[in-house]
Amino acid sequence: MKLSKKVVLLGHFGVGKTSLFRRFMDNEFSEEYKVTLGVQIKKKLIQLPDGRELSMIIWDTEGHSISIEDTRKSYLLGSHAFIYVFDLTREETYATLTKDLEYLKENYIKVPARVLGNKLDLVNEKEIRRQLTEKNIPFDGLTSAKTNKNVESFFLDLAEEITK
Amino acid sequence: MEEQDKLKILKELLFTEEHEFADSIAQKVDDLAKIVHQKKELSHKVDPIIDDKLEEFVQEIPNTLGPTITETLREEIKNSQDAVVEALFPIIGKMIKKYIAHEMKLLSENISRKTKKAFSFRNWFRRTKAKVQGVSEGDLAIMDYAKPRLIQMFVIEKNSGILIADYSPLSEGTIDKEMVAGMLTAIKSFVEDAFEGGNQNLELIEYELYTIHIQNFYSYYVAAVISGAYTMMFKEVLEDQIIDFAKNNISSKDLENSTLFTKKLKKHFADEIV
Repeated sequence: MKLSKKVVLLGHFGVGKTSLFRRFMDNEFSEEYKVTLGVQIKKKLIQLPDGRELSMIIWDTEGHSISIEDTRKSYLLGSHAFIYVFDLTREETYATLTKDLEYLKENYIKVPARVLGNKLDLVNEKEIRRQLTEKNIPFDGLTSAKTNKNVESFFLDLAEEITK
Repeated sequence: MEEQDKLKILKELLFTEEHEFADSIAQKVDDLAKIVHQKKELSHKVDPIIDDKLEEFVQEIPNTLGPTITETLREEIKNSQDAVVEALFPIIGKMIKKYIAHEMKLLSENISRKTKKAFSFRNWFRRTKAKVQGVSEGDLAIMDYAKPRLIQMFVIEKNSGILIADYSPLSEGTIDKEMVAGMLTAIKSFVEDAFEGGNQNLELIEYELYTIHIQNFYSYYVAAVISGAYTMMFKEVLEDQIIDFAKNNISSKDLENSTLFTKKLKKHFADEIV
């Protein structure tokens, strides 16, 4: 039986959602920054460890400037998972993280939200981990779309989680 | 006369009344036994009583069972709202369509009356052709345009945009249908959100020679890609077919089973559309 899941990328402007999206989908990266208007959608077929095949439909939404509540609600409906991306080099992109996660939890009760700190290539991993822990910032992974560090494994882990 | 005979005579004298009484009781018991053991007899006696009681019971239902039934139904509907709405959606859709079709017929007749009055060579030619072929002038006018044709049909989950089933009478194209389903949903969501039309739904997308007919149901929608002239008449037929398909073939189980849904969709639409 066909297995399809919708995953939505969320986060502030310029945190690298589209870069992660392109890296995972097409294994591409570009230094050029283009603002995403509305949403772009792509599909990736993932072979699960149990032999099943998952069609992961990823919705790369345009970034929000203040709060996640600015994101078009209809884009979030029917999601099977959210990936909240923040920029490890810009504190303002995770300043509202706790509040945004609460909003998601309240409004999309059954949808798991995973937090990803991106642009790992621009920071010292050990140092940033210490800082995030100190500031009580929850995260599920640290990635670099540029160097492809942890990108594939993060999406594959998520694929397994949402198909359990 | 012996002692025993005397005693017997005395008994008869003393217990005559009791004998008669006992005999009448025995007779009554016999009659009752007959009534009880013979269905017809019993039915004759008991039926009027049961009828009275039943009538009384029926009259009392609204007061006795009514509140319990209402409460149970209310609870059931509350607990399975999605299933109830899913089942009612095509039926309500059909009712609304019938009403609109009736109104459209009146409008069409009105227009026909007015066009009859107008004269032109083209109208005269069409009228003559219509008479010869035995079809209405309006139908012929519509047939003047290119015939509409179903190119592809998608059944898409409303919120997630995930493709549930698809069908195309043409050969399989290279386009990724799952991505089309997602993008269609995103466009639909954008339009519905952007213009704040309350609970209104996007129903049509036109591009050059193609039209995407969108028909909304409770948890899913059907998008049919049509080439040629998307006329009101074709829209009517298509809408009816989609509603019939939804009403007769789709249950919440089917929505979860993409393979089965696709089979049903193919079977239903393979011979149906122009």
